[in-house]
Amino acid sequence: MSELLNTLMQDARVWQGHKHNKTTQPAELTGYQALDNQLGGIGWPRGALSECLLDAPGIGELTLLMPLMQRLSQAGKTVFWLNPPHTPYAPALARGDINLNQVIMIHTEDKGDFLWTLENCLRSPVTGLVMAWPGKLATREIRRLQLAAEAGSNVCVLFRERHYAGQNSPAALRLELEPGDQQGLKINIVKRRGSWPGQGCSLAMVHRAGLFHREAPRVVQGPWPASTR
Amino acid sequence: MLWLYLHFPHLLLDHIRRSGENVAALVIVEGSGQRVIQACPAARDLGVGAGMRLKTAVSLVPELGIVRADQQQEARILEDQARWLYRYAAHIVLVPPNGLLAEIGSLQRLYGGLSAVWQTVEEVLHERQLTAWPGIGHTPLAARLIARNGKGECSSDKGCILQTLGQMPLLAAEFDERTCTRLQRLGLNTLGEVFSLPPAEMARRLSPETLAYIQKIQGSRPDPQAPWQPPHYFRQQADFVQDIEQSQGLLFPLQRILSELEKDLCWRQQDTDCLLLVLRHRHAEPTRLRIRTSGPEHRAEAFLNLISLRFEHQPLQAPVVSLRLTVKRFLGREASGGQDLLGESQDLNEAWHTLMSRLQARLGENALKQLAPQADHRPERAWSASEVQRTSRVMKTKASQLPQRPLWLLRGPQPLTEIPQAWFTGPERISGGWWDGQRVHRDYYIAQLNNGQLAWVFRDVREGWFVHGWFG
Repeated sequence: MSELLNTLMQDARVWQGHKHNKTTQPAELTGYQALDNQLGGIGWPRGALSECLLDAPGIGELTLLMPLMQRLSQAGKTVFWLNPPHTPYAPALARGDINLNQVIMIHTEDKGDFLWTLENCLRSPVTGLVMAWPGKLATREIRRLQLAAEAGSNVCVLFRERHYAGQNSPAALRLELEPGDQQGLKINIVKRRGSWPGQGCSLAMVHRAGLFHREAPRVVQGPWPASTR
Repeated sequence: MLWLYLHFPHLLLDHIRRSGENVAALVIVEGSGQRVIQACPAARDLGVGAGMRLKTAVSLVPELGIVRADQQQEARILEDQARWLYRYAAHIVLVPPNGLLAEIGSLQRLYGGLSAVWQTVEEVLHERQLTAWPGIGHTPLAARLIARNGKGECSSDKGCILQTLGQMPLLAAEFDERTCTRLQRLGLNTLGEVFSLPPAEMARRLSPETLAYIQKIQGSRPDPQAPWQPPHYFRQQADFVQDIEQSQGLLFPLQRILSELEKDLCWRQQDTDCLLLVLRHRHAEPTRLRIRTSGPEHRAEAFLNLISLRFEHQPLQAPVVSLRLTVKRFLGREASGGQDLLGESQDLNEAWHTLMSRLQARLGENALKQLAPQADHRPERAWSASEVQRTSRVMKTKASQLPQRPLWLLRGPQPLTEIPQAWFTGPERISGGWWDGQRVHRDYYIAQLNNGQLAWVFRDVREGWFVHGWFG
C-alpha cells in the first residue's frame, strides 16, 4: 500500500468498519476514567475540534473540562474562553485549582472576528485549550476551524446547542450532554474519529456544588411553596 | 581636533524621494511658491533647474511634483540625519539649514585611520540614498567652507587644508557682502591673500569681527561648539507628494521607518511596547493610532503586522498627506530566551506576546480580559476582570479556603420563573455592602431546576427569588 494510504489508516482518517484500530492521534486525558474508557482510553483529541452539544448551561459541562483546564493551566498553557454566555466565575475557578494567570476571556463583536480569533488561538503554540461558544456556524466555517486546529496541537471544545447533533460536522469528537440522575452528567458519544459512535456513560458531577450522595437530596425543605413570590 | 562637515545640497528632496513614491520629476519651491530651489535629477534632465520660476518649470514638465520648502520640516529632517550620524560620532553639531558637523579626530583610532572613517560615512550616505558633500578641516569653519565648495578630501594635513582654503575665491568664503566688497577693492581675490594680511592691520582697517572670522578659519582663535544631544524619543516622518488614499500605500514607507526603529532600538538596547502613529490629512483632523504590543518588542516585522491588522480593521478616513511615527516609551531589553541551540523548542514567552498583540490589535484592547478573585463577600464583586498581562500573580488565599461557588455567574440576577425540582444546601446568608451603598442582603440556596440545571438561587430581602449562577 502506498505510504499516503498507510498514514491515513494509521491516523484513523479512513474509517474501516471491520477493523477496530487503536488510533495513534495525540490526545489529552479527560480526567474521568469512565469517559476515557469510552473514548478508547485517550480522551480529548489534540489538533482537532471537539463539540459538546447541550441544551442549557448548569448541567456540569464545565466540570467535565475542569481536570483538563487545571492540568493545562498549571503546566503554563493558556486557556481561552471565547464568547462565554455567562461570566466564568473567578472564585470558583481558583477553588478548582486553576492558574488564573493562564485564563483569558475574549469577547468578539461579530462572527468574522470570532473565527479569526479562534483560528489565531488554535495556531499558537502557547494555547492549551480553547473553549468557544460560537452560536450558529456553517459547515464551511467548522471545516475552516478544523483546519486551523490541525495546524496547532491543542484541544478545542465548541459548545453548541443540542439540536445540531442531527447535522454532520467535521469535528473529531462530538459529545451530547444531558443531565443525568443525581445531578450527574449523561454523555452520549455522537461521533468519534476512528471508531463506532453510540457509546455513552454517566458521570457523577455532584461534587461541583459541594453536594455528596450521602446527603439526602432534600436536606433543606425549600421555603418555596409557603411564601409565594 | 579634526572636523568633518557634511553639506546636504538637497536634503528635502532626498527625504521625499526616500518615501518611496514614483513621482517622475520633483522640485522643491521656496516658501512663497515662486521659484524652484531644488530639482531632482529627473527634473534637471527635463530642463528644470534651480532658480527657475515655477511657472516656467511647470510649462516645461506639466506632471511636475511640487513640494514647498518648510523651515520646520527642514530642521526636523536635519535632526534625523544627526540621529544616524550619532551612531558613528559622538560630538555632533547641527548647522541649519543643511549641514552637520562632527568631530572625527578622536574617532581615528576607533575606526583605524581617517580613511576608514571617511569610508564608513560615505557607505552610510550611500545606503541612505543621501547626497552629501563631505569636507574635513582642522577647524569647524574650515571644514564647512571646504564641504560647501565641494573640495572635500580625505586628508588631515593642516598645510594641505590651508592650501585648499587659500585657493578659494573670496565669494566662496562666505563673508558678508560689505566685507567682501571691501576686500575686493583692496585687490584681494582669494582667501589665501586675506590670510597673509597682518592681523592687527586687518582688525583696524576692516573690523574685529572679520579678523575673528579669519582666525576661526585658521584655527588661531577658539571656536567652541556645543554638542548636540540625541533626544530621548524616536520620531520619524514621511511626507508624500501625492496624497495616499489606500492604507496599503502607507505600508511601504512604514516598513522603512519601522526598520529604522528596529535599528534605533538595537542601538539603544531597548524595546518598546507602544507606538504612536499620526496620519495627517489635508482637510481633516489627523488620525492618531496607538499601536500597543502586549510585551516588549523591537522587530519591525512584528510592528508592521500589527499595523496592517489595524489598517484592515480601520480604513483611512481621508487621503493621507504625511505620516509620523513616535515612540516615547522605552523598556529595558531582557535577554531573550530565544531558541535553544538546536532550534527545536520555540520561545513560548515571545509567542504569547505575539498572539496577545495580534488579538488586541484586531479586537481592541478591551476585548481580552484576565480574571481574578476579589476579596469581597458580595458575589458580583468577588471577581474582577483586568487587562491581559504576562505576570505571575500569586494567589493570596488558598484554594480550599474559598467558598463553594458556581462556575458560571450570570451578568445580573435573573428572576426565577419556576419552582425548583429539588433543594440542596442553604441558606447561606450574604449581607454586606453597607459601607459603599451597594447593599446586598440575600440568602443563597443551591437548587435543581426541572430541566436538570443546577442553579445558585437567592432570596432577596424584598422576597424576590433570583438565579445568580449555574453550576456548570
